[in-house]
Amino acid sequence: MQTSCPAVRFRFSLKDDPYLLGNLVFASVILMILLYSLVFSPDRNDYPVVCIHEKITGMPCPSCGLSHSLSLILRGRIDEAYTWNENGMKVFIFFVSQFLLRIFFSRYYLNYPDFRKQLIITDISGSSLLFFIAFMPFIIHICKWL
Amino acid sequence: MEEVNKNSGQTLGIAALITAIITFVIAVIPCIGLVAIIPGIIAIVLASVGLSQANRADSPRGVAIAGLVIAIVASIMSLSQYMVIGKFADKFPDQIEQIVRDVQRNVVDEIENASVSIKVENGDEVVEINVDQNRNDKVKTLEELEEGLIEPDDTLNAD
Repeated sequence: MQTSCPAVRFRFSLKDDPYLLGNLVFASVILMILLYSLVFSPDRNDYPVVCIHEKITGMPCPSCGLSHSLSLILRGRIDEAYTWNENGMKVFIFFVSQFLLRIFFSRYYLNYPDFRKQLIITDISGSSLLFFIAFMPFIIHICKWL
Repeated sequence: MEEVNKNSGQTLGIAALITAIITFVIAVIPCIGLVAIIPGIIAIVLASVGLSQANRADSPRGVAIAGLVIAIVASIMSLSQYMVIGKFADKFPDQIEQIVRDVQRNVVDEIENASVSIKVENGDEVVEINVDQNRNDKVKTLEELEEGLIEPDDTLNAD
């Protein structure tokens, strides 16, 4: 039986639908990353995660300073953020845009069931493109050494 | 009973999808990408078991398949970072040896310049011995003595 209540429809769909569930999980992960960047302070330098790559090789990797950079962006200190990691802004924009896109696409998916296939294809293509733009320096780093 | 089977397959699929997405986010960051292999393997196992249960119960398999695909991609990315580290070690063995030597030298320097304080208490008597290694200062004093810049001090201080 089709119900007109969006909340009920959403709950039912979420249980069986990998797309909506994936959106929810990804949005939650992004929220946790942003919370991590907010809770730990670049001034106190109390980040619990250290660069394993640098520990092993003794050389910094392209993502070194990313936590500092994200924290500084969230605090509005953009210039300082660039000095810590020049890719920080791209990664931040990717995460924020993905968070907003998860909400938008989920709503669209629920409201327009006839266009779900097109929506998923658009989402995968667009998100992949955004991912490659944001994480290109990291991907190049891996490819360069393989 | 059939409902329980359906739910168990779905639950594992959901757990696999959650783990796989977290693994993917970790795997794309070079700093911590190496550790993503552990949740990656867990996600693959969860997704495989969920998929097989879903197959048997004839329930929807989408969630488990999505989890499996993302987990495999994330694990490959994490594995590739192990290979990067290996290549680094092959390419820069001298640098890595230099890093080890630097660390050893720093430890030796710290020991040589360390200050040691020993305090012995026996009833009312307290004996305290303070030894200040400060090797650099001593070398400097010796050089100044040799050059005659300072007068030798033979007095013994007992505090």
